Amino acid sequence: MNVLGFVLTNFWSLLVLAFLGLVGLRIGWRARRYGATRKELRYVLRRSPFYFVVLVFCFFAAAPFFIMFLHTFKTDGDLYRRPQPFVYRQEPTLEHLDTLFNNTAYLDFIRNSVLVGVAVVIITLLLSLPAAYALARLTGRWGERAGILMFLVYLVPPTLLFIPMFRIVVLLGLKDSPLSLIVVYPSFTVPFSMWLLQGFFKAVPPELEEAALVDGYNRVEAFLRVVLPLSLPGIISTVVFAFTLTLHEFIYGLVFIADTSQRTLSVGVPTELILGDVYFWQPLLAAALIVAIPVGLAYNLFLDSLVQGFTMGAVKG
Amino acid sequence: MSVVEISGLRKHFDAVRAVDGVDLSIQPGEFLVILGPSGCGKTTLMRMIAGLEKPTAGSIHIGDADVTELPPRKRGVSMVFQSYALYPHMNVYNNIAFPLKAQRREKKFDRATMRGKVEAIARLLEIDTLLDRRPRQLSGGQRQRVAIARAMVTQPAVLLLDEPLSNLDAKLRANARDELKDFQRSSNITAVFVTHDQIEAMGLGDRIVVMAEGKIQQVGTPQRIYDDPANEFVATFLGSPSMNILRAQSHRFGFRPEHFLPKTLQDNPNNSVSFDYFVKRVEYLGSDRLIYGYVGGHENELTLAKVPSNVRAALDIENEYEFAVQRENIKYFHEASGERIEAQMAGADW
Repeated sequence: MNVLGFVLTNFWSLLVLAFLGLVGLRIGWRARRYGATRKELRYVLRRSPFYFVVLVFCFFAAAPFFIMFLHTFKTDGDLYRRPQPFVYRQEPTLEHLDTLFNNTAYLDFIRNSVLVGVAVVIITLLLSLPAAYALARLTGRWGERAGILMFLVYLVPPTLLFIPMFRIVVLLGLKDSPLSLIVVYPSFTVPFSMWLLQGFFKAVPPELEEAALVDGYNRVEAFLRVVLPLSLPGIISTVVFAFTLTLHEFIYGLVFIADTSQRTLSVGVPTELILGDVYFWQPLLAAALIVAIPVGLAYNLFLDSLVQGFTMGAVKG
Repeated sequence: MSVVEISGLRKHFDAVRAVDGVDLSIQPGEFLVILGPSGCGKTTLMRMIAGLEKPTAGSIHIGDADVTELPPRKRGVSMVFQSYALYPHMNVYNNIAFPLKAQRREKKFDRATMRGKVEAIARLLEIDTLLDRRPRQLSGGQRQRVAIARAMVTQPAVLLLDEPLSNLDAKLRANARDELKDFQRSSNITAVFVTHDQIEAMGLGDRIVVMAEGKIQQVGTPQRIYDDPANEFVATFLGSPSMNILRAQSHRFGFRPEHFLPKTLQDNPNNSVSFDYFVKRVEYLGSDRLIYGYVGGHENELTLAKVPSNVRAALDIENEYEFAVQRENIKYFHEASGERIEAQMAGADW
C-alpha cells in the first residue's frame, strides 16, 4: 500500500526518470553498436550526472511556462475541480485568449509597452554611453565618486519618488500619456545602464584607444570605431536589461496613467484581469506567457554577454 | 637638422617627477634607444613625443613644427605598443589599413592605392598571407609584425617603439631584434626604441640614451656608453655582471669583472694595478668562470671577476691570488655625486 501510494503521488517524476533511463540505455546500446569503446562509454557515464543536474534545473525553469501554457486553454470547470487534473479533463478552449484579445486592451498594452521600452532604451543609450565612457576613463578620485553618486540615485525606490514625479508629470501636461513614462523611466534605467556599461568600457584596454589616436583619429572617432564595436556584447545586454526594467515597472505606470488604453502591460494586465478578489487566471497566465516568450528568447540569445555583464559589474564596477 | 628636437621637457604627476628636464635631439635615419630601469620615465618621455601625454613644461619639435600642443594625429608619428594594441575586431588587412583610412579624408586616394600600400608593407614584413586573419589567430611574432606594418604604412617621420620585443619568448626575441634592425636600416626610418633590456639596447641602438629618475644620464654610441660611462649609475647599469665599485678615501673607483684578471694574463703588466684577490666561490658558466671574492683592504665589498674558460690557471676557493686591472680600465667617481672624475683628481695613488 505504501509503495503504491509513493508511486501514485510521484507518478510524474517516476515517469520522467524511467524515460531518461530508457533513453540512456538506448543511447548506450546504439553507441556500442557503432563501435564506441568501453572507455568512451565510461566517459559518457562520468559526465552524465552533470547533465542530469542541468536537466533538473531546466525542468524547474521550464515547468512554470509549461503550466501557464496548459492553463491558458483550461475551462473554468477543469481549473476549479479538486483534485485539479494536470492536463485536460474537459475539451481545451480558446475562450480565454478571446477574452484577453477582444475584451481587454491587451494589444494596446503591448503597443504602449513596446513604444515606451524602445523610446526609453534609445534615450538611455544616448545618455549612458558617453557617461559610462567618461566614468570608465576618468579614473581619478572625483570620477569614481561621481559614478557612485549616480548609482545611489538608482537605489532611491520609486515608492519614495512617485508622488513628486507625479507632480512633475502633471506640470509637463503628460498625465495619462505613455510619454510620461518615457520621461520618467530613464531616471532609473540611465544610472543602471551607466554602471553596467562602465564595466564593459573598463575592460577595453586604453592602449587600443591610444593606438587609434596615434593612427590619426580623434577621441570621438576612437570611441566610435574601437571602443563601441569591442563593447557590443555589453551594449546588447544593457539594451535587454533596460528594456526589461521598463517592462516590469509597476508603480509609475499605475500612478501616471489612469486611461486604460494608454496603460502598459505591467499595469494594464493586472488591473483589467483582477477585479476585486476575482482573478481571471487563464487570461492572466496567457498574458504573462505571451510577453515572457520573446523576452526569454532575447535573454537566451545573449546569455553569455549577460553573464559577463553581471560579473564584470560585480568585479570591476 | 634633427627630426625631433626636445628641450627642457618635464612631466610631473602630482609630486612625482616622471620626466625631469630632458633635452634631446634625434637625427634622421638613426635608431635611438632609450634605456633605463622601470620607473625612470622612459615610457613617459616616449608618450610625450607621441602626444599621448601632455608635458608639464618644455617643448617638442618634429621637423620644423612645434608639436608640443598638438594631438597625436597631427604629429606625423606612429607607435608600436608593448602589447601591440592590435584591434581585435578587425582582420590584419583592416588593422594595417586603419591609419590610411584616417588619412583618406584629407589626402584623397582611392581604395586601390590603399590596398596597394597595405600589400606592399605586408610583403615587406612577410605577413602578406595573413591579411584575412584576426589578431587572436596570430602568433606573438606575427602580431609584432602586424603592429610594425600598421605603424609604418603611413611612412611616419618617426617610429616609436615601446618595448615591442618584451612579449616575445627569448628565442624569438633575438631573431626579431635582428629583423627589426634590418628593416629599420633598409627603410631608413628614424626609430625611437624604449627598453629596459641592455642587451637589446646595445644590439639595436645607433645611439643609446640612458635615463634614470627622469633625467638623461648619458647619450652616446653603445661602445661609448659601455667603455666611457658618464657616472656611476651608467657604469653599474650596463654590463652583466655589473661593474665592481670599491670605496677609496675620497672617491669611489670601479672596474668591470672581465677586466679583472690574474696578473700573469695581463697584456701589459707594467701598466696595470694589482690587487690581492681572495676567492670565495667559483661559478662555471661555460664560456667563462665567474669568481666571487674580495680584494685586500675591501673585505666588505663583494668583487667579481670574469675569467674566460680557456684560461686554465687554477683558481681555487679560499685561496689568494694576484689579480690586476689595466690602468685605463679603472674608472673613478666622485664620492657625493657619483660623476666620473679623472684619476689625478681622485688622487689615485698607484
